[in-house]
Amino acid sequence: MRTSYFLLFSWAGLIFGQSFDASAGAVFKAKCVACHGAAAQGKLDLRTEEGVLKGGTSGPVVVPGAAAKSLLLDHVVTGQMPPGKVKLTDAEMDVIRGWVNKLPAEVAAVVPEHEVRGILQARCVACHGSGKASGGLDLRTLASRLKGGKSGPALVPGKPEESLLYKRIVDGQMPPEKAAKALAVELPTPSETEKIRAWIAAGAPGPAAVAAASGVSEKDKQFWSFQPPVRPRVPVTKGLARNPIDSFLLAKLEAKGLGYSREADKLALLRRASLDLTGLPPTPVEITAYLADTSADAYEKLIDRLLASPRYGERWGQHWLDLAGYSDSEGFGQDDGVRRFAWRYRDYVIRSLNADKPYTQFLTEQLAGDEISDDWRKAKGTVGLDILDRLAATGFLRTTPDPTNSAERGLLSERMNIVADELEVLTSSVMGLTVGCARCHNHKYDPIPQRDHYRLSAILQGAYDPYEWRTPNKRELDLALESERQEYDLANAPLQADVKKIQEQIAKAGEPFRAQLLEERLKTLPEEVRADLKIAPEVRNEAQKYLAEKFKSTLTINEQELVRKYPEYAREVQPLQRELQTLRGKMRPKPHVRVLTDNAEPSTHFLLRRGEPASFGEVVEPGVPVVLTNAALKPYAAEPLFAGTTGRRLGLAKWLTQPNHPLTARVAVNQLWMRHFGRGIVSSVSNFGRSGMAPSHPELLDWLATEFVARGWSMKAMHRMMMTSQAYRQSSKVDAALLAADPENALVSRMPLQRMDAETLYDSLITAAGRLDATAYGPPSELDIRADKEVTVKAGKDGFRRSIYVLHRRQTPVSLMDAFDQPSMTPNCTERRRSNVATQALHMMNGSMTWELAKYMAGRVIDDADGDRARQVELVYLRALSRRPAEAEVKTGMDAIASFKESWPARLTADNGAEPRASTAGWLAVANYCHAILNSAEFSFVD
Amino acid sequence: MSKTNRRDFFSSVANGLHGAALASLLGGDLYANGGVFDLTPKKPHFVPKAKAMIQLFMNGGPSQVDLFDPKPMLTKLAGTAPSKELSFAISNGETPGVLMPSPFEFKKHGKSGMELSNAMPHLADCVDEIAVIRSMYGEHANHEPALFLMHSGRTIASRPAIGAWVAYGLGTENRNLPAYVVLDDPKGLPINGISNWQSAWLPPIYQGTRFRTEGPPVLNLEPRPEIPTPLVEAERNLMRKLDAAHLAARPYQPELDARISSYELAARMQMAASDALDVNKETEATREAYGLNAVATASYGKRCLMARRLVERGVRFVQLYIENQIFDSHGDIQGSLNYACGKTDKPVAALLKDLKQRGLLDSTLVVWGGEFGRLPISQGLGSKAGRDHGPNGFSIWMAGGGVKGGTTFGSTDDIGFKAAENRVSVHDLHATILNQLGVRHRDLVYERHGLKERLTDQFPARVVTEVLA
Repeated sequence: MRTSYFLLFSWAGLIFGQSFDASAGAVFKAKCVACHGAAAQGKLDLRTEEGVLKGGTSGPVVVPGAAAKSLLLDHVVTGQMPPGKVKLTDAEMDVIRGWVNKLPAEVAAVVPEHEVRGILQARCVACHGSGKASGGLDLRTLASRLKGGKSGPALVPGKPEESLLYKRIVDGQMPPEKAAKALAVELPTPSETEKIRAWIAAGAPGPAAVAAASGVSEKDKQFWSFQPPVRPRVPVTKGLARNPIDSFLLAKLEAKGLGYSREADKLALLRRASLDLTGLPPTPVEITAYLADTSADAYEKLIDRLLASPRYGERWGQHWLDLAGYSDSEGFGQDDGVRRFAWRYRDYVIRSLNADKPYTQFLTEQLAGDEISDDWRKAKGTVGLDILDRLAATGFLRTTPDPTNSAERGLLSERMNIVADELEVLTSSVMGLTVGCARCHNHKYDPIPQRDHYRLSAILQGAYDPYEWRTPNKRELDLALESERQEYDLANAPLQADVKKIQEQIAKAGEPFRAQLLEERLKTLPEEVRADLKIAPEVRNEAQKYLAEKFKSTLTINEQELVRKYPEYAREVQPLQRELQTLRGKMRPKPHVRVLTDNAEPSTHFLLRRGEPASFGEVVEPGVPVVLTNAALKPYAAEPLFAGTTGRRLGLAKWLTQPNHPLTARVAVNQLWMRHFGRGIVSSVSNFGRSGMAPSHPELLDWLATEFVARGWSMKAMHRMMMTSQAYRQSSKVDAALLAADPENALVSRMPLQRMDAETLYDSLITAAGRLDATAYGPPSELDIRADKEVTVKAGKDGFRRSIYVLHRRQTPVSLMDAFDQPSMTPNCTERRRSNVATQALHMMNGSMTWELAKYMAGRVIDDADGDRARQVELVYLRALSRRPAEAEVKTGMDAIASFKESWPARLTADNGAEPRASTAGWLAVANYCHAILNSAEFSFVD
Repeated sequence: MSKTNRRDFFSSVANGLHGAALASLLGGDLYANGGVFDLTPKKPHFVPKAKAMIQLFMNGGPSQVDLFDPKPMLTKLAGTAPSKELSFAISNGETPGVLMPSPFEFKKHGKSGMELSNAMPHLADCVDEIAVIRSMYGEHANHEPALFLMHSGRTIASRPAIGAWVAYGLGTENRNLPAYVVLDDPKGLPINGISNWQSAWLPPIYQGTRFRTEGPPVLNLEPRPEIPTPLVEAERNLMRKLDAAHLAARPYQPELDARISSYELAARMQMAASDALDVNKETEATREAYGLNAVATASYGKRCLMARRLVERGVRFVQLYIENQIFDSHGDIQGSLNYACGKTDKPVAALLKDLKQRGLLDSTLVVWGGEFGRLPISQGLGSKAGRDHGPNGFSIWMAGGGVKGGTTFGSTDDIGFKAAENRVSVHDLHATILNQLGVRHRDLVYERHGLKERLTDQFPARVVTEVLA
């Protein structure tokens, strides 16, 4: 940059050589000094060169050497100045441009301390920081640099050539390349080294004060979603309003001469509510019981029963995991490394939802579970579920792809991508804001200046210090439940014993060879040393100990060398080694917990120009978007409750969970609303900003938000309220008139008819077939990747576990669910999309899973129906479609089964299997029928 | 529904005419706007030049001044500071870089003498087939909105993709394959994900269908071998019956309609798709030409070859995506473009030659381009400098389907920053594409909320006749 400006100035200087009065001054005199002369409007006097350079109330009006950056030119070129009709001519503008461009550019500014600090953080503190301070040297602060380490002060102000800090870098001694590579540190660039030199040469000045302009106006803060929700008055309506939700919805409908659709059938409602709250269809027993319950509040009781079901947490846990961007893998490359203990977070979410934890607590634990209490720090080995859950909760901010276990992919830029992704997860899911663009520049549509992005990421700096990075495998704590430890010990004990046995065998086999090799090596040494070295370690005297240390490498014999040197030894031990490997593969991993914890003294956080990793702008302190600060809200402040943590995330949780926070409750209830009604009141659920959509029912949104708070942030209370409204009970039927009046159902004049999402479909398939293994929690089910790359799930002895308990690997999603739009977490998913394409039909019709499930389902239906064909059809309907078949449907089913049965004996005969052919044909014919029913539109669509 | 009627209905479903059949059975229109939606071939507004289109979408924003639009002035002004306007074009609050010449060399090629950079040596052999538009301009400098603009005509997320419009307007020639096929990169979905090929408020039968390009293109294409063949058909007949009854009780639900279509199509695809997508049926020479034998080109080459096989079989619209955003050259302009072109140049040229040799180029419109171009100033320093997004002026090219090969149309300013002469908007491009397919963009409408919706919306748009034969 400097070179280029230099070129420009000299070029300009050749052309424009005139004085101020002869050039720009003349133009100013003609067009500007009427106001900017003696009158000095805006304190700007353009009569003299000094006056122009001094500037006015708007600050400097010219940047010497850079017309393009000068306010004066900007105002003139854009026609803002002079006001009135008389403008500058192009020639006049050129004159001013020329004059400004030839002004000598200001002497290169002194390199500010913060830039040097940034460079040192990026290149040095991985060794010379809070973590290990190699050589006793901590380079993070001016004081610590002056203090230096074992080799003396790192810094001699004013004398770069005498400063070790600079010398070692210039000499190429630091950073040591090997260590840098291992720690994924890039070497300082020449310009960075030059900056360090210049800063020292200038006397190593200390940090300057941070600028304070926020870039956000009071007007910006007036936008509806940045103002706290105010509880609106509930309108009076003609139609039946079971609760205020209905009042708000009906008010709008009635204003258009519309009303609700009629109530859905009892069974349609049962299926809708069951799938909605538990993700599973009702069982035949539940259907019978519900039909038998004719009390006035049968439906309300149903909702209460479903909310109390442990299946509720599994269904709504999936919604939350979407927001969090949950995955069981790191997400990069072919190996897509598995996160062994990610499932603890999934379990935490399910447990919390089932317990109806207040949303505020739920959020606080996820943002700062480790900062709430330090009980876990004192624990050794085993802890209680409460502590373990609080730690696992921090998995919320540990979901995004993280390739940094590999040093090659762990460079600063990658680390910063991870932090930015985590921030996107946080803001899109909980705050309804898009801040991603502010990583590189001020948000173009919302009042989110770039600095706000960095204020937010500074909150994460304790947990994600990009300069003193912790790789994923260093983010596990050796803590588990007592029972898990016991199970682990128990499961591994026999394997452990075998391992020990084999290790002993290997050692024994190696003895003669070791002795031989040692002898050979010792031969190269003088006789007297040889004797001393042969003394057994435990009886060595001081001199012998010294010698042993000195000749350590001679005495140490490693396994590989033995194998290389003695083929007969290799032949003997290699099978043993393989066996050892197999045994180790069988061992369970020691139960740990994945956790986000703080470095209590994180590196300085900077605004990064353009978002580039080593373009250090101003120093930024943790904080929240300025547009969300107002007098009614308590300001953000870190809350370090105990030593060893910054308390920054806990501070964020406290700030977010204030009852009058403008976004937290609104965004949460809008998410719930979208899942129940098909679209959000704010349809852009992750964007409540100016570029998002306006709420369709603003009063309803605010009423729900305030009600949520009033009900102690109980999510179950909100489900109950939404689902017991008359709105939710509407039919999904639509006719031409209604479609014309409310084409996109923005007024909620009916319920949407929707295809099940991927997980509900999968769970419903295994449930209808009777293959659901309802085991909750714990490590996920493994995948089975077939030769044609179809990914399926491995069934256990008791069947298939629910989709939420299936290993979620980014590179190998389960094909069936992938086809039905299960999201790939990049980094999270705030709203599901539903496609409707032929490849889905192929999975359902031709996939092995549906056919296997159909056969299993047929077997159970036959078992339970005692050979009564009509009863078989009825059971299929009840299990798959949650209703009894009509008479005609029974007949269709029986006819179909009868005709299917005719085609099987030929095949069975051809296969020449052992099964009885007639009864097998009967079973497979029912399987065909089940297969068709599972493939019907009625099965996968919800009224 | 009477018995006879029902039989008629099922036979018409089997013939893919269920939409029309249903509408008549229900005694009225299926939808409020009076349309009946299916994928049967529709009559275009006039005799089309192109029957099909292949869109080679170059994710990331290819740099025009390094590929198609030589700017000697950049060499002269190298290192100087940009104008205020150009400085403003970069993301807010950033220090702009300096004018940066292209590290690539431009040469004239073919009979037309079209200038191309040496980043694309293979395309250089095909310049007389392509028409480059150097004066494209967009509306937004961020990927997401720019992608939406390029695919759907607006920078917002909720409008149908151009492929969906084409499927809606023209249906498909081959009922056994989807009208609109997407061949995305096996390494992952592009930015905006499946929204890139959404039908939005157009009925869902028009959305793009993704075919996998690694492993079998379509999983579970064949019926289960253990089920006797007559039973596959018998089961399907039962499903048709069940679904028809289900649908009849639920009128005005386009998703259900689309779902029936998807099952019908799936059944027919069993026969057609494995053949259509099996690139092993090609000769070794063809496979070599598309770069299937080299690591760099194998993935994109396979998609290009699949695209040819699909249009050959009457698929209306094939859309190819490229991994991540390989044309998003923020750093190392030379290295990143060599990487991107190294993957795509050879397959793209092979596709053009192959289409031509088979006599398909005349009836297939090929469009190459990204969501925007790049700025003529540097981003970052030294040899690692790249370029930032530049929506104000960029290049795309079209070929085949009535396009006048060897044409270079429009220009950017002296430094390649803004489209200058004969500016072409994205709406103009859309109008031109539709025109080649025999569709007047003003007349391809879908009624919604009482409005006539169009791909080109209410924007002025003109057919760029200058690039047409």
